[in-house]
Amino acid sequence: MEKEKNSRSKTILEKILNNRAYPAIFLVIIVLVSVSLAMVIGNITRVKIIAGREAEIVNQLNVIFPDMQEYKIIDDYYVIYQDKEVAGYAFTATGKGYGGDINMLIGIDRDYHIQELAILSNTETPGLGTKITESYFTDQFKGLGSDDINLGKDGGKIDSITGATISSKAVTEAVKKEMELKIDKIKNNK
Amino acid sequence: MDELKEKSTGRKFWLEFVKGIVVTNPVFVLVLGLCPTLAVTSSIDNALGMGAGVIFVLLGSNIIISLIRRITPVMVRIPVFIVVIATFVTILSLVFEAYIPPLYESLGIYLALIVVNCIILGRAEAFASKNPVIYSIADALGIGIGFTIALLIVSLFREILGTGSLSVFGRTLFSIPVLSETPMAFFITPPGAFLVLGLLLALFRWLGVLKNE
Repeated sequence: MEKEKNSRSKTILEKILNNRAYPAIFLVIIVLVSVSLAMVIGNITRVKIIAGREAEIVNQLNVIFPDMQEYKIIDDYYVIYQDKEVAGYAFTATGKGYGGDINMLIGIDRDYHIQELAILSNTETPGLGTKITESYFTDQFKGLGSDDINLGKDGGKIDSITGATISSKAVTEAVKKEMELKIDKIKNNK
Repeated sequence: MDELKEKSTGRKFWLEFVKGIVVTNPVFVLVLGLCPTLAVTSSIDNALGMGAGVIFVLLGSNIIISLIRRITPVMVRIPVFIVVIATFVTILSLVFEAYIPPLYESLGIYLALIVVNCIILGRAEAFASKNPVIYSIADALGIGIGFTIALLIVSLFREILGTGSLSVFGRTLFSIPVLSETPMAFFITPPGAFLVLGLLLALFRWLGVLKNE
């Protein structure tokens, strides 16, 4: 009752601050402003980030195909040339890992068997899921055709990492799926 | 207390700033932010990168939270603090990814985890939301630099003992002859981090220089 009698002497600011809906509205405004700011910075840095990722892919291509002399981009895959002849192909894949997306680069040879698998980025558990980047895991994929790419328990040749089942499975499934898709596309483009 | 009020703004600024480095050092006295301390101190480069990042986020969040402290409703203050902090960390992460890719790679997941670094939320709640902007800036700088110094001390031990040499931004500063051939790699591992941090905490307690308030 007292409050109502005094309300006319309060300033407009106090009225807003004491409004029951104010906390919710304030929070919404803060979120909107913050997200907008993050989006602006995201736009400013977008070009540089994408360029950096593409440079990293080219670096990895040179690691996977050491004798590569040039490459061309057709559709959404890379064609690797050596002495003006097709030496292999490469494409990226993304798997849903335990802690987020796992980005990888898969290089295959002319017979559509894996040349090498490179993990580009991941946000898996350090010390466990991050072991997918180590050669003792990725070397397993070398030379395999897409039919053999399954975890051991699913009849394939890939052993998953102890304590990192989900990470291992994510990589394996993503590689297999992307291989089948891209090999089809490559064959159709011939 | 009255004595403090009579001091000039400049003196007060300096006091708040120095406080964060020694008297209330976030790692060795407040014992906060241990997760990144253990994780990124395996190399001096990572320690410096993380330190710089935390200083940036602390400054940004302290300033904003101090600016809006009178219009922030008490009941939603924690979500508001977290949104503000997360925004600065997002900006930091994007800038690192675009302009310092190697640091972005080696900090990895710990860059995003700065959002839940207790130091930053702690300063927001304990200081920035209750003090004017100028002192919040001093607090952010002091605590941030104190954190960076703590990271540097730990990583100094871990890198020298664990690799036998010290390199900053790719330049090797020095290399200890016998140690660099067979370094004590244990210190680069997480248990090694615990050991170094624990011994340093004990050392500072014993010296009585830093008292837990």
